[in-house]
Amino acid sequence: MSVQKWLSPGLALACLLAIFAACLLGSTPLPMNNVLAAFIGDGNPGDRLVVWSIRLPRALAAFMVGAALGLSGAALQGLLRNPLAEPGVLGVSASASLAATFSLYWGLVALSPWILPFSAILGALAATSLLAIAATRTRSVVTLILIGVGLSSFAGALMSLVLNLAPNPFSLTDLINWTLGSVANRSFYEIVFVLPFWVAGCALLFATRRGLSALTLGEEAASGVGLDLRRQRLSTVVGAGLATGASVALAGAIGFVGIVAPHLVRPFVGHDPARSLFPSALLAGLIVVVADIGVRLIPTTSELKLGVVAALIGAPVFVWIAMQRRAVHD
Amino acid sequence: MTELRIDNLSMTAKDTVLVEGATLTLERGEFCALLGPNGAGKTSLIRGGLGLERLSTGAAFLGGVDTRTLNPAERARSLAYLPQIRPLAWPNRVRDIIALGRFSFGAAPGRLKWQDAMAVENAIAACGLVELADRSADTLSGGELARMHCARAFVAEAPLLIADEPTAALDPRHQFRILDLISDYVRNGGGALVVLHDLQLAAQYATRMVWMKGGKIVADGTVDDTLSKERLEDVFDVRAQVDGRRVVLESPL
Repeated sequence: MSVQKWLSPGLALACLLAIFAACLLGSTPLPMNNVLAAFIGDGNPGDRLVVWSIRLPRALAAFMVGAALGLSGAALQGLLRNPLAEPGVLGVSASASLAATFSLYWGLVALSPWILPFSAILGALAATSLLAIAATRTRSVVTLILIGVGLSSFAGALMSLVLNLAPNPFSLTDLINWTLGSVANRSFYEIVFVLPFWVAGCALLFATRRGLSALTLGEEAASGVGLDLRRQRLSTVVGAGLATGASVALAGAIGFVGIVAPHLVRPFVGHDPARSLFPSALLAGLIVVVADIGVRLIPTTSELKLGVVAALIGAPVFVWIAMQRRAVHD
Repeated sequence: MTELRIDNLSMTAKDTVLVEGATLTLERGEFCALLGPNGAGKTSLIRGGLGLERLSTGAAFLGGVDTRTLNPAERARSLAYLPQIRPLAWPNRVRDIIALGRFSFGAAPGRLKWQDAMAVENAIAACGLVELADRSADTLSGGELARMHCARAFVAEAPLLIADEPTAALDPRHQFRILDLISDYVRNGGGALVVLHDLQLAAQYATRMVWMKGGKIVADGTVDDTLSKERLEDVFDVRAQVDGRRVVLESPL
């Protein structure tokens, strides 16, 4: 009980510390006094530039991406009643990346800065809607995960096609950025344009979390205790679409974070889907911020991609969870 | 007076008729057994009556309101519905699962108002779950799980209860135990419609029997009026001996 009480405040504090550490650490570490001075708009202009234009927006972007994925993962797991459901595994991130690259390479983004987040969100919503429709048709969650895997591969293939056919010149680096994910060189400008969607998605998921607990009983019994199933499905699908779309618009596709964080959080909240949402968001945000610090510190010739680090940690956890599950559930 | 009134209800799925012209009323103070072979349309009738499934004709009213226009939370406060038991998605605590029965009152596990908390404690005590309340539900036996789900239904303190095969896959002692709990609920003024496959138990516990075959209600009345050798032959296609409330099934026809 006491762990449950301190879980969210503790994680929130850890997130703040990690974001602060992200401002200190880097190719040229800044002393703490310089960073603190830069925060309040003091100190030398070089430090202020590093903190306000490079490190802080990057750390905040990493946090937003992680939190959105953790929250979407926890909510989708509640809705689909399966701990392996996650935007990356279900092909939601890949679909969002596809839509984003499409708008990018056909020059649509030149029309308005809102186009990129908008198309990523449309891609994510299309995927979550498709999955929700499939979920009502099939009783088996395994089938649903397989549909997600298929969707993910299909979106990946279409993305290569888009890049091949795109009228605008592009580089392989862009493809890698979208599929592997990165928060390098993000500024407050980019954050501002995804923020409304991020807030709307997270708020929607959080506001409708109670129904996810009822779904523990299964859909039939959940409607028996008074859950409006259709509304719950709609709000979770739209919320996860908005949040995931916003995160993809900011950082490309980063997988597995949405599985690892809720999995670690669940035992501390009595396995209740509703209560796992907030700490899952915080923990996932923390993981991505820390992973991004790692990416910046690991001395490789070209910077490691954030999604690579996430997958290196997350994919084994995914396999481990899958092996723990007893076959009786499906 | 809360009552469930199903009026000339018919349901079809594609070209198959699931339920045809069923009329049925469930009132407080009665233990009504819904009987019939597999595929007779019992579950469809319940789902249709609750407004969870599309009807082709007829309507169902709960406390005078069409169930299709009733919002799910309002419906759940008047009628607790216990569908066939499915495995839980997560290994939650027993107490938290029972608390989900208060969902329609705006409660959630960990967020219970004092009325909700009282109701949860009462249901835990009534169903003999005090020792198990803080255990994880995935450590419970089949009989204990069935009791937990009963507690979850009773915790809503709804005047009516519909339970779909609450005794399925239970040993005899636990079957008695579950039906005793439902009987207590009825004695305290509730009205229960219970799908049962054990005809002997149904005859022992029910105050009223509703017999279904091929989507139609073929008989509805007291046990003495409707339970007979001929009825079992007609509805279930089995040869049986019936002596008052004693049923001995012999062989398929």
